[in-house]
Amino acid sequence: MKGTLIGLAGIVLLAILFSPHAADGSRIFLQPGNLTDILRQVALIGIMALAMTYVILTAGIDLSVGSIMALATAVTAMRLTASPPGMGHVQAMVLAIGAALLVSAAAGALNGAVIAFVDVQPFIVTLASMIGIRGLAKWLTHNTNIDIGFGQDVAAHFASLFWQKAVVVGAFAVLAVIFGVALARTVFGRYVRAIGDNEKAARYTGLPIRSVKIWVYGLSGLLSGFAGVLYTAENHQGNPNAGVAYELDAIAAAVIGGARLAGGKGTIAGTIAGTLMIGVVTNMLRLNNVDSNVEMMVKAVIIVLAVAAQRQRGAE
Amino acid sequence: MPALIEAAGITKRYGGAWALRNAAFSLERGEVHALVGENGAGKSTLAKIAAGVVAPDSGTLRIDGREVRFSNPLEAQRAGIAIIFQELDLFPQLTVGENIVVRNLRFGERWLARPRAIERFSAPFLEAVGLPVSPRRLLSRLSIGQMQLVAIARALSLEARTIVMDEPTSSLFGDAAERLFGLIGELKRRGVAVVYVSHKMDEIFRVAGRITVLRDGETVGTRAMAETDMNEIVRMMVGRSGVGVETSAAGSVVAAPPMFEVIGLANRKLKSVSFTVARGEVLGIAGLVGAGRSELGRALVGLDRLEGGTLRLNGKPVHPRSSRQAMRLGIALLPEDRKLEGLMMQMPILENGSLAVVGRFAPAGFVQGSRELAAMRPWFDALALRASEWQAPVSALSGGNQQKVLLARFLAADPQVLYLDDPSRGVDIGAKSDIHRIIREFAARGRAVILVSSELTELLACSDRILVLREGRVAASFDRGAATEEKIMAAATIAGAAA
Amino acid sequence: MKRIEYTVLAAALLAAGCGTQPGGKPSQRQYFVAFSQCNNAEPYRAAQNALLARLLGAAGDVKLVIGDAQQDNARQVAQVETFIRQKPDLLIVAPNERAALTAVMGQAVEARIPTICLERDILQPNYTTYIHSDNRAIGRLAGQFIADQLIKKYGTAKGNVVQMRGLLGVEGEINRDAGAKEVFARYPGIHIVAEPVADWIQAKAKDRMTEVLRASPSIDVLYGHNDPMAVGAYLAAKELGRDQGILFVGVDGLGGEAGGIKKVMDGVLGATFVYPLCVDKAAEIGLKILHDPQFHPEKEYTLESTMVTAANAADLFKKL
Repeated sequence: MKGTLIGLAGIVLLAILFSPHAADGSRIFLQPGNLTDILRQVALIGIMALAMTYVILTAGIDLSVGSIMALATAVTAMRLTASPPGMGHVQAMVLAIGAALLVSAAAGALNGAVIAFVDVQPFIVTLASMIGIRGLAKWLTHNTNIDIGFGQDVAAHFASLFWQKAVVVGAFAVLAVIFGVALARTVFGRYVRAIGDNEKAARYTGLPIRSVKIWVYGLSGLLSGFAGVLYTAENHQGNPNAGVAYELDAIAAAVIGGARLAGGKGTIAGTIAGTLMIGVVTNMLRLNNVDSNVEMMVKAVIIVLAVAAQRQRGAE
Repeated sequence: MPALIEAAGITKRYGGAWALRNAAFSLERGEVHALVGENGAGKSTLAKIAAGVVAPDSGTLRIDGREVRFSNPLEAQRAGIAIIFQELDLFPQLTVGENIVVRNLRFGERWLARPRAIERFSAPFLEAVGLPVSPRRLLSRLSIGQMQLVAIARALSLEARTIVMDEPTSSLFGDAAERLFGLIGELKRRGVAVVYVSHKMDEIFRVAGRITVLRDGETVGTRAMAETDMNEIVRMMVGRSGVGVETSAAGSVVAAPPMFEVIGLANRKLKSVSFTVARGEVLGIAGLVGAGRSELGRALVGLDRLEGGTLRLNGKPVHPRSSRQAMRLGIALLPEDRKLEGLMMQMPILENGSLAVVGRFAPAGFVQGSRELAAMRPWFDALALRASEWQAPVSALSGGNQQKVLLARFLAADPQVLYLDDPSRGVDIGAKSDIHRIIREFAARGRAVILVSSELTELLACSDRILVLREGRVAASFDRGAATEEKIMAAATIAGAAA
Repeated sequence: MKRIEYTVLAAALLAAGCGTQPGGKPSQRQYFVAFSQCNNAEPYRAAQNALLARLLGAAGDVKLVIGDAQQDNARQVAQVETFIRQKPDLLIVAPNERAALTAVMGQAVEARIPTICLERDILQPNYTTYIHSDNRAIGRLAGQFIADQLIKKYGTAKGNVVQMRGLLGVEGEINRDAGAKEVFARYPGIHIVAEPVADWIQAKAKDRMTEVLRASPSIDVLYGHNDPMAVGAYLAAKELGRDQGILFVGVDGLGGEAGGIKKVMDGVLGATFVYPLCVDKAAEIGLKILHDPQFHPEKEYTLESTMVTAANAADLFKKL
C-alpha cells in the first residue's frame, strides 16, 4: 500500500511538472475544475473497483461488471421514461433506481451462487454472465439506446440531479469509506480476506464460505448497478452497449493498488490510489495532447511497471 | 583435512527479527550431525543457509575449505548439498517421478517429457525409501507421510555428499521411521554426511554422532553424543535444567457414560470404525502413514462423505454435512498441515488465532480489537507463544510457533469434541509438554479430545486410551496402563495381532 | 529490478510521451483549434481529419489537435472536458452519440468557447453552429433510386430490401433510414426483410449480411447507410455466390482508391450518394470565427449531396 501511495505521489508530481499553463499563468492540471474532472472521470470505474477488491480478495474475479452496468443503465432509463405521467418525480426516481439496483444485485448474487454451490471457477462463471447479461440488456432495449431528453419530465429531472459532479464524486467517496471500513473492521471483511488467503483452512475453521461468496459477488453486482445509474444520468441514455472493457479497468485499479489476484491481499485505500493513478496519468497525457493510441500504450506500460514494483516489495 | 562444511559467524535478519546471530557449525565427512534448539532458535534457517536456499546477511560458509556463496539451491546441489524441507517443497500437480527428476542435476531433463526414463530413474530410490507407489502416481493423491518419503527419495537421487534433513520424521511413524534410520546408516557407510535437524530427542540419540545446540540464533555448543546426555542437551537448549517430557497424571475419567460415539463409520478409506470417547477423556490414535488417521478426522467433521455409520454426541445422533455445520454442532478438527490447511499466511497472528471465534467480540459486526486481544491472550500465554507484534503476518513466525497459533484457534473455539491431528508437529521439547498439559486441561473441562500423533511417547504421555488404526480399521485398543510402544507398533503393522 | 529503477523508468516514459507534443499554447499568436472526432477508424472520418488538417494548415496560423474517442462516449466526454480546460480558440466536435455529448458541449458554450457541432447533431442546440448535410434528403434519393431500379427489374415496384444500419441513435442513421422509408411507404410492394445493425463498420456488416443471406433466400437490394457497410455486405454475398442478383447501394461517396465512387466504377456498388465531409465548410466558418471577431455564423449550415452512378462515376472520380 505504501508503494502505491508513493507511486501516486510521484505521478502527481510529474503531472504538475508537465502541466501546460493557462493564460493567467496557473498550471492547468492544478485547477480545481480539472482536479474534480479527474475525480468524476474515474468515479464510475472507481466504484466498481471497490467491490472488485473484495472479489479479488477472495481469490475470485468478476468479468461481468461492465455488462451489469449496461443492464442497469437500460433498466433505469426504461423505468424512468415509462413512468406514468401522474407519478411524483421522487417516487418515480426511487422506483427506477431501486429496480436497477435490485436487478444488478440479483445478477451478481446469481454469479456468486453458481460459484459457491456449483463450484465452477469465477473466471468462467463471470465470463459467461458477461456475455449473457449483455445479451439480456440488448434484448430488453431491442438493441437501441433509450434517450433521456432535456425537458421537464422525470427522466430529465433525474439526469440533472445525478449528473452533477458533486453527486458523482460524493457517491464514490461515501462508498469508498463504507467499503474501506467494512473490509478492515468487520467480521465479514475478515472472512473475505481469510477465504482468499487459504480457502481450505477457512473450511476447516468452519467459516461460512458460500454465503460470503454470494455476498461478495452480489455487492459487485450492486455497485455495478450504482455505476450504471450514474452513467445513465451523465450520458442521458440507457445504453446496452455501455461499459465494454470496464471490468479490465476496475481490475487494473485494484491490482495497481496492491491486490493480489491469488487472493488474501489488498486494501480499499490501495485500490483508490490505483484508480487515481490511472486517472492522473490519463489526464496528464491528454492535457499534453498525446495521441490517443500512444496514451493507451503508455497506460499499459504504467500498469505493468506499477504491479512489478509491488512484487519487489512483496518479495522482500 | 578441512571440514566438509564449515559455517562461521552467520547472521540473518528477517524484517525486525534476528533469526541467527553469530551461528557456527561444522560437518565432517560421513558423519550424522544433529542440529537442535527450541522453536525459533534458528536451526531451520541455518540448515537452509547451508543448502543455498537462504543467503546469510554476514558470515562465511566453506565447503572443503573453500569459501562459497550460494545464490540458489541449484548451486548448492552442484556443490553436493541437498536439502529435504520440513514444509515439503514438492509439486502436488506433478507425478511422483516428475517430482523426483525436476531440476535434478543427475537426471538431465530435456525438452520432451520422457515418462519411461523418469520411471527407470526414480524406481530404485522409491524402493530404497520403502514407498510402494508408482512413479506415475499424482503426488496430491499421497498422504503427507508418503510425500515425505518422496522428498527423501529425491534427495537420495541427487547423490549429494551432504543431505540436510529438516524434521524428516515429523509425519513418519514406527516402521517408516525405522526405515529412515536404516537409510541414514546406509548413507553413512557410503560416506554421505547427514545434517539432522529435529526435536525428537530419542531419534537424535539413536542416529547422530555429534550434536550442535542453537539458542536464540547463537551456537551454544557442540558435543559428541557419546560424551553427553539428554539433560545437558536440554539445558543447553533452554538455558535451564529439568525440563523434559513429563508424563502428565491421568485425570479421573472413563467411569462416565460416553459423550461421543462413533459407530460403524465407513467411506472410501475407512472400513467400519467404531469407538467412544467419554467426557474428560483423551483418546489417542496411533497408526502407520496411510492407516486412515487423518481421514477419520475429516469424516467426523463432514468434510468427507460417509457411506455408512452414525455419530452420536451426548446421546443424540448428528450428521454434519459440512465443516461449518460440524463446528456449530461442536465438533472441530485441527488439520495436519498447518501451511496448506491451517493458517492464513498473509493475515496477522492475532487474526489467525481468533478466526474461529471472531464473532464473539464483534457485537454489531465490527471487530473490537481490544476485546479480541484480551480474549486470545490467555491462550497464547498458555502455549508460551511470544510475539513482538501481534499484527505481524503469521508467516513471520517459526514453524513451531505457527503451530501454536493454529492450536490456539481451535482451543479458543471450545468445541465439545476436538480432533487434533498431530498438534505438536514441529514444536520443540519445552513447548511440547506445555501443549500436553493444555490438552489434558482442555479435556478435564468436560470435553472429549481425540489425539492423533506419530510420536508414541506423546500418545503414551497424554492419552487415557489408545486406538490403533490399520488400513482403515480399528486394529487394537489399549488402556493407558497396558500400552507399550512395542504392542502399539505390533498392532499397527502385523495383521492379526490384537490387544 | 529494484523499485527505484521502475519508478525512474515510468517517469522517463511519461516525460517522453508528453514531450512529443508540446503542451498548451505556443508562444507566437497561433490559434489553438481542438477537434474531438468520434472515431478515427471510420474511413469517412479519416478523410474528414485529413481534409481539415490540410485546410487549416494552409491558413498558417492554426495549431490543430485531433482527439480520437474510438466510439466511446465516456472517452469523448472526458476528452472534450480536458479540451475545455485548455481554453482553445475554437472547438469542433463530431459527437459519438447525441444524448451523451449534449451536456459537455453545453459546458463548452458556457465557457465561451466557439463550438462547431460537426455532421451529427445533439439533443439540445449547445453549439455556436451546426454544420451537416441533409441525410433525410439522401435517404429519399436512395429510396427513389432503389424503387426505380426495382421497377426496371420487375416491371412493377416490388422486391425485398435489406437495410444495413449504422450506429443507432446517430442523426445520420436515423434520417437515412427515415428518408428511404418515406419513399418506400408509397410502394407497398417493396418489403424491408431485415435491418441488421453494423455500426458503420465494414467487418461487422459482412458478418451481419452473411446471417441475413442464410436466412432469406430472395434479396433484391442492399441499402447500406454507408459505403464500407455496403461493401462488407457485397463481400459476404460474393462469398456465398449471390452477389450478381443483388443491387448494392451505399452512402458517403468518398474519392480515392478505397472510396465509394471507385466502387461504383468497379461495379461493386450500383450507386452511392456523395455525403459531404462537411469539414470544408467547417474550416471556412471556423477560420472566419478565428480571424473576425465581428463574425456571427448562422446557427445551421446544410450542405448538398450528389448521386453517383455508373454514368457519372468516372468523371467525379477524376475531379476529386
